[in-house]
Amino acid sequence: MTLSSQGIKRILTGDSALPWLAPLLAMLVVFTIYPLIYNIWLSFHEYAPFRRRLEPVGTDNWQALFSDERFWDSLSVTFTYFGVVLIIQVVLGMAIALLLDSEQKGFGVLRALLTLTLVIPPAITGMMFLLIEDPEFGVLTWLLESLGILDGTQPILATGSTALMGVMLADIWQWTPFMVLIFLAGLRSLPPEPYEAAMLDGASSWQTFRRITLPLMGKVIAVAVLIRGIDLFRIFDYMFVMTSGGPGTSTYTLSLYAWQQTFSFIKWGYGATISLVSLILILVIANLFIWVARVRW
Amino acid sequence: MRDSDRKRYLAKIVDDYVRRRISRRQFLTTSAQLGLGAAALGTGMSRPFGGLFTPANADEMLQPSQEVLDWVADVSTPFRGTTLKLATESTPPSNAINSQLKPYFEEASGMTVEIEVLPLEQVLQKLTLDIASQLGTYDLYYIDQSWAAFTSRDVFDPREQLADKPDLAMPDWRVEDFLPALVDGIARYEDRLVGVPYDIPIFIMMYRKDIWEEMGFEAPTELEQYYQQAKAITDAMGPEMYGATGQMKSGHYSLECDWTAWLWGHGGSIFNSDGKFSGNDERGLEAMEYWRRLYQTMPPGVTGWTWDGQGQSIAQGVAASMMSWGEFFPYFDDPNATKVSGLMEAARCPAPKNPLRTVEDTGFGEIPGVGHQGGSSLAVSQNSKNPDAAWIFMQWATCHDTQVLITALGGGTGPTRTAVYDDPRILANRRVGPGTTRHLNVVRDTIAMDMGSEPDLPEWAELANDTIPVRLGKYFAGDYGSAKEAMDDIAQAADKIVSG
Amino acid sequence: MIVESQARRMTRTLAAYMVVALFVFPLYFWATTAFKNAKDIFNTPPTVWVFEPTLRNFEEVFGISLGFFRQQEVLPGGGNFFMAPRLWDSIVVALGSTLLSVIVATLAGYSLSRMDFRFRHLFVGWVLSTRMMPPVAVAIPMFFIYKDIGLLDTYTGIILIHAVMNLPLAVLLLKSFFDDIPRDIDECAMIDGASRWIIFRRIVLPMARGGVAATAVLCFIFSWTEFIFVLTLTQTGLKTVPVVSSSFVTSTGTAWGNMAALGVAATAPAFLFILLVQKQLVRGLTLGSLKE
Repeated sequence: MTLSSQGIKRILTGDSALPWLAPLLAMLVVFTIYPLIYNIWLSFHEYAPFRRRLEPVGTDNWQALFSDERFWDSLSVTFTYFGVVLIIQVVLGMAIALLLDSEQKGFGVLRALLTLTLVIPPAITGMMFLLIEDPEFGVLTWLLESLGILDGTQPILATGSTALMGVMLADIWQWTPFMVLIFLAGLRSLPPEPYEAAMLDGASSWQTFRRITLPLMGKVIAVAVLIRGIDLFRIFDYMFVMTSGGPGTSTYTLSLYAWQQTFSFIKWGYGATISLVSLILILVIANLFIWVARVRW
Repeated sequence: MRDSDRKRYLAKIVDDYVRRRISRRQFLTTSAQLGLGAAALGTGMSRPFGGLFTPANADEMLQPSQEVLDWVADVSTPFRGTTLKLATESTPPSNAINSQLKPYFEEASGMTVEIEVLPLEQVLQKLTLDIASQLGTYDLYYIDQSWAAFTSRDVFDPREQLADKPDLAMPDWRVEDFLPALVDGIARYEDRLVGVPYDIPIFIMMYRKDIWEEMGFEAPTELEQYYQQAKAITDAMGPEMYGATGQMKSGHYSLECDWTAWLWGHGGSIFNSDGKFSGNDERGLEAMEYWRRLYQTMPPGVTGWTWDGQGQSIAQGVAASMMSWGEFFPYFDDPNATKVSGLMEAARCPAPKNPLRTVEDTGFGEIPGVGHQGGSSLAVSQNSKNPDAAWIFMQWATCHDTQVLITALGGGTGPTRTAVYDDPRILANRRVGPGTTRHLNVVRDTIAMDMGSEPDLPEWAELANDTIPVRLGKYFAGDYGSAKEAMDDIAQAADKIVSG
Repeated sequence: MIVESQARRMTRTLAAYMVVALFVFPLYFWATTAFKNAKDIFNTPPTVWVFEPTLRNFEEVFGISLGFFRQQEVLPGGGNFFMAPRLWDSIVVALGSTLLSVIVATLAGYSLSRMDFRFRHLFVGWVLSTRMMPPVAVAIPMFFIYKDIGLLDTYTGIILIHAVMNLPLAVLLLKSFFDDIPRDIDECAMIDGASRWIIFRRIVLPMARGGVAATAVLCFIFSWTEFIFVLTLTQTGLKTVPVVSSSFVTSTGTAWGNMAALGVAATAPAFLFILLVQKQLVRGLTLGSLKE
């Protein structure tokens, strides 16, 4: 054994968890606690363009939130997006997982193909759907128009009522397979006994799903909702490349609004304030959820 | 030899030449023997949409002038090994420099030039962050005309650089050689010059000659006539062919550009002489009414398009005309990429409906004119660690010889120097085909007579990229009861931002 | 398992194929875009099946001429669309950050799985909550720190921040994999006098190999697809594929074909990895939530 691993050995021989966790702690403190403190500090300051420096502004930024219509708009867009996409992804993900949970020939390939969507960078997915949903040349637009669903006068991404749906579509396409993977994992590890009993009782497949699968899968669903929910609440990439928040403010999320305040308008203090609001909200929601759904690690 | 093989081979010999593995004479003879002359130089060049083009003047070498390179080598001696950084939008000049001309400069100067190519919004973000924190991560700034005001204190005025460093001044490099209208419209803010004009995309009228002839129309000379023609085409040929098209994506700068053209064209202005937003006055509303009517002659998708979708709608034969960036014209002539090669014609923008306001009637140096200009300047950052080295690069990138090569290789983009328009190498490219320069006369006339320039104020970037296009987007999405309501809302928001 | 009737089997198979086809179609469309000329990308009605294929988009992105295999060299000066070095950047960043986060997360995951200490449950919750920070909020402070310590625009800087971004999920994943390995094994070994480190190195880690691989692939993909940090913390030194794809948006239009070509090229390696560890990935993704 080399000298350094001797050293490691000595430190790690004991039963203290600290040395094992030290690298993790160090990285998380530097990269998350520091930015957090910095952001809190920043939210009480604002960049003064003419004097080229940060100046304390007291609680101005926090007060400004209340009268900022666009903040409230983006808050409601964020919640709508979060709620709708999460529900669709869970329901659709479960349905597809049940469908693909079979040992039939060819299903392994199908499951593998489904994971393809996960490896596309969301920024590129956004561009891809931008092309697919293009009002003149897009294949989806063309399809919906030939089916008579769209009348050719309402560009999907430039109409207030449909733009958010257009963006959601990209997200749903990309991340539903992720849910499918998680649910498949859950389905694969369910005990067979309850199903055998249900079959003897002559239960219908809906009853079996409702009474056995769903309760057994509860924890898995909770984990999936938690992981995906956190990411959905911070959603940024799709709007950034597809709509830049438009038309009007109909696809502005909190992250995008914070980004814009920070990088486009150089209102660092206000941008930090919005980020903090977003962080507080997701912390509260996630912890409530963990508590209610009794997720344990 | 197949085209791709020619390209491959060319790449090799150019590379060899630049790296001094072969002499200039050898390079010239080899390429001449292969019939690769000037034409081939163009073939190594990648253009948007994947088109490759060949400049027409095949018998003439499109080579950087040895004299210029010698000067670069001479003054750069103290700066060998320096690395210069520049963030720029992906425009034809940037493409030409980055893809083809940069190696010559690097070879001569011994410096390294790193060019970060980004979409316009991201260039703005990088630049503002750099300026706000005075970091000096970029040595040169690519400054869109709408950002001139807030960057003015952070860049060197080229006149001062010329005066302060006579030993670094390139012979015959004078600010006066740039088109005066552009110097005023793009680079001047108050009494300072924010670099020199580097690129000039400007609104010109581009229309399908075949369709115009078929309909028995003359090129539109005034706005109302243009609307009538567009409407007649849409009525007769829609929905396969629309009379006009636009760049009207909500929340995007392009929407603001379209708006100003119609606004100025109806005698309106963005600000009045008191510095208050005046898009909601009588003229402004007249413009909105015109725009609303014209919008109905456009493909329904325009509200989802920036200049990309707008250009494609012409290129793919969906729309018959656009009053927009002239730099699209050479692309339309590329038969590999578009369906309209040779069918497009360029003309000056239609005359305004009401007399244009004068600069005195407007605020913040706004210059009304139908030909909206979206030019940009190149300037050395005051935060740069190597301002002198950057200044050498800047002179080289904007000198006559380089600009000719940019225009010839970069696909017929509008030059910012007067003399470049008459350079034989540019005139030779006036024929139908990719990289054409046959629209440049119109560009020159537009700059001289029709050019409109946005106001210069530090808050303008926010107004032009967000406040105005977000609300205009809401208007076209039907979120306002009337144009007046929309304009009043913009007025309120804009005045609040301007007054701080 | 429940025995299915023939008809149900057929319906299920048909439905499964249709659903997967629906998800694969956009990819097919995007992949074919990479082989199209601009003329075919923009067409009404859209060209879906029949078009004249071209390799030009790939040639430009990779700076090679595929018609001339003997002499593959790069175009002089690189073009604006010459992205081969950017693929390399992506690979370096993704591999580096994956390695780092897997090492750190394995150590942490093992101790969280095996050692009891006060507030362990809270600690895990805190680790997860670090994932809730909006990336924008992290990007700005990191920009200034990086500038000061010279990590801006460097591989190290991006690798570090990507590793941190992946840590919460990696720790939870690995903890659940370690939880699957019975504690009895540790205890037996300890009675034999083995230290924690030896147990970890020689016994537990090899047993959790599949789980580590699955975690690594997930980290790789998240780093491969990350956008905001690379956008803010890089300049000319490096750029990963998601960010650089926006440089196809030019002032004279968007080069969709080239963008799609890069997208296709960038998808292949990540997909290959995911296929290799699909079994473990599927098992691990429940994060141990099925354990009682």
